[in-house]
Amino acid sequence: MVANHELQRAEEWSGLRGFTNLLYKENRAWWGTRRWWINALLWTGMLGGLAAMVVFMLPTIAQATDDPAVAKAGGPIPFGLEMGRTVFFELGAMALAIGVIILCQDLIVDEKQTGLTEWLLAKPVTRRAYVLAKLVASALAVMILLVALPSLACYLLLSARVGSFFPFLPFLGGVGIMIVHTLFYLTLTLMLGTLFNSRPPILGIALGVLLGGNLLAGFLKPLLSVTPLLLGKVASLTAGSQPLPPELLLYPVIASVLWSVIFIVVAVVRFEKTEF
Amino acid sequence: MNQTHDHVIRTDGLSKSFGDVQVLKSVNLAVPAHSIFGFLGPNGAGKTTLMKILLGLVRPTGGSGTIFGRDVVRESVAIRERIGYLPQQPRFVEYMTARENLTFAANFFFSGPQPKIRERCEEMLELVGLRDKADRPIKNFSGGEKQRLGIALAQVNYPDLLILDEPASALDPLGRQEVLEVMERLRKHTTVFYSTHILDDVQRVSDRVAILNRGRLLTSGPIEQILNGRDGVVYTLIVKEAPQGFSERLAGLSWVTHVSAPETAGASVWQIGVSDEAAAETALLRFVLEDQNVTVTEFSRKKYELEEIFMELVKGESDGRQS
Repeated sequence: MVANHELQRAEEWSGLRGFTNLLYKENRAWWGTRRWWINALLWTGMLGGLAAMVVFMLPTIAQATDDPAVAKAGGPIPFGLEMGRTVFFELGAMALAIGVIILCQDLIVDEKQTGLTEWLLAKPVTRRAYVLAKLVASALAVMILLVALPSLACYLLLSARVGSFFPFLPFLGGVGIMIVHTLFYLTLTLMLGTLFNSRPPILGIALGVLLGGNLLAGFLKPLLSVTPLLLGKVASLTAGSQPLPPELLLYPVIASVLWSVIFIVVAVVRFEKTEF
Repeated sequence: MNQTHDHVIRTDGLSKSFGDVQVLKSVNLAVPAHSIFGFLGPNGAGKTTLMKILLGLVRPTGGSGTIFGRDVVRESVAIRERIGYLPQQPRFVEYMTARENLTFAANFFFSGPQPKIRERCEEMLELVGLRDKADRPIKNFSGGEKQRLGIALAQVNYPDLLILDEPASALDPLGRQEVLEVMERLRKHTTVFYSTHILDDVQRVSDRVAILNRGRLLTSGPIEQILNGRDGVVYTLIVKEAPQGFSERLAGLSWVTHVSAPETAGASVWQIGVSDEAAAETALLRFVLEDQNVTVTEFSRKKYELEEIFMELVKGESDGRQS
């Protein structure tokens, strides 16, 4: 029989008690099940495939047309590269946001409904640790599976088409902006999970912000500076080494980061007050 | 040890309201160390709410509570270091096996050495008889097996206090039996505070009991004391044709508190309440038999069934509220 004094007590900063073990559980949910390779294949295949189609097939089609945009881009291949980059970053950002919302909608709600949260919070863990473990594990998995792998695929495709390495740092900048965009929707969905006890309002609000926000921005231009609505375009331009005015580059990025921080704070505060 | 530390759990005027609904009404509860404390009450009495307050899952709206002398609101995490909890519906991390769930639960309390943690988990599996199923998917477990795994998870840190919410209510008789046996095995190591509405189980394993109804604590104390009923110690005496003045002579004894004799066919069943149990044990029957005209057919100390006490208290409280 192993007595308690034979075991080392788990030592952690009291404000994040239980974080390490909860993070292990969350990581296990992503990486210890088939979830990781399904998402890796799905997103790399989908975004990489889309970019490949545009990068390799569009120049052939463009060659047969007299589209002035092709000439402006410098020929069919540069036109294909520009369109491929645009499709990957602009359409990709939108697709990733939808993906993150769907993948993370039940991060907290599911455990609240099944009673697992109640059991976990009856252990020596802080509620802050519970929320942050979910955030860190999901952010890591989403960034690797949904952003990094498809981005790598896209970069290799662009490089293959160019015949040499595509400019790396601008592309990395574009990926960074796409990460900010994705994090915004991840933290929004996480926060909504602490505010609601069922999936429909979470999905409705998060998708409403994503899809409805673009419509609203048509009437209210300043929204573009304080939301991530423009980040897909900004990422695409950045990756293409195209100059951007600071108000177009900095404001939406800073605003999106701030929003993400606010969402995390609200999620933690709300979860601290929730009764189970 | 001072009085606070003699009691593992203590609540003073603990109250909880959800909107206009008052779920707990100034509950004063004291759970002594190393007891198996049965927390009884009908569905909706507030048992689970009280347990959740103790665990820091729900905040009280009034009063206070301590566990191990620590405040249940301000020092909840430190309290939970020493507690094991089994919810009404045990929950597990579904993508982990029983053994993995145990290791995961143990890692909340211990960081190593890993071989010792594994050994502890094996002990727990042995305790609840699940060693042969430890690596099977939990979704294939029966209700009884899930409940036993839940107890193992609650016990993995060798807690000083085990809080079990309706540990046997959803089980068939065999499953209930298994769970009660596990509880009895644990009694020498820890204090067990469990809620239930299965009175037979309480009478079998508990040494102390509290009864809660509509958020109000109706009674609390050692089970023998509760089973004595609210009238204190009562003896039942069945005699054939009691002579005149028999009742008055009994009532004249200094330690007899009350005498009642409902008539039945051919015999009188006397209920004699006493204030001095020792005196009654040695002198009551002797006193009765001194009268040559009395034929005693039965003499025993009245024992209530917990169900009688429970029904009387709960019904009495409901009647009192209606009147």
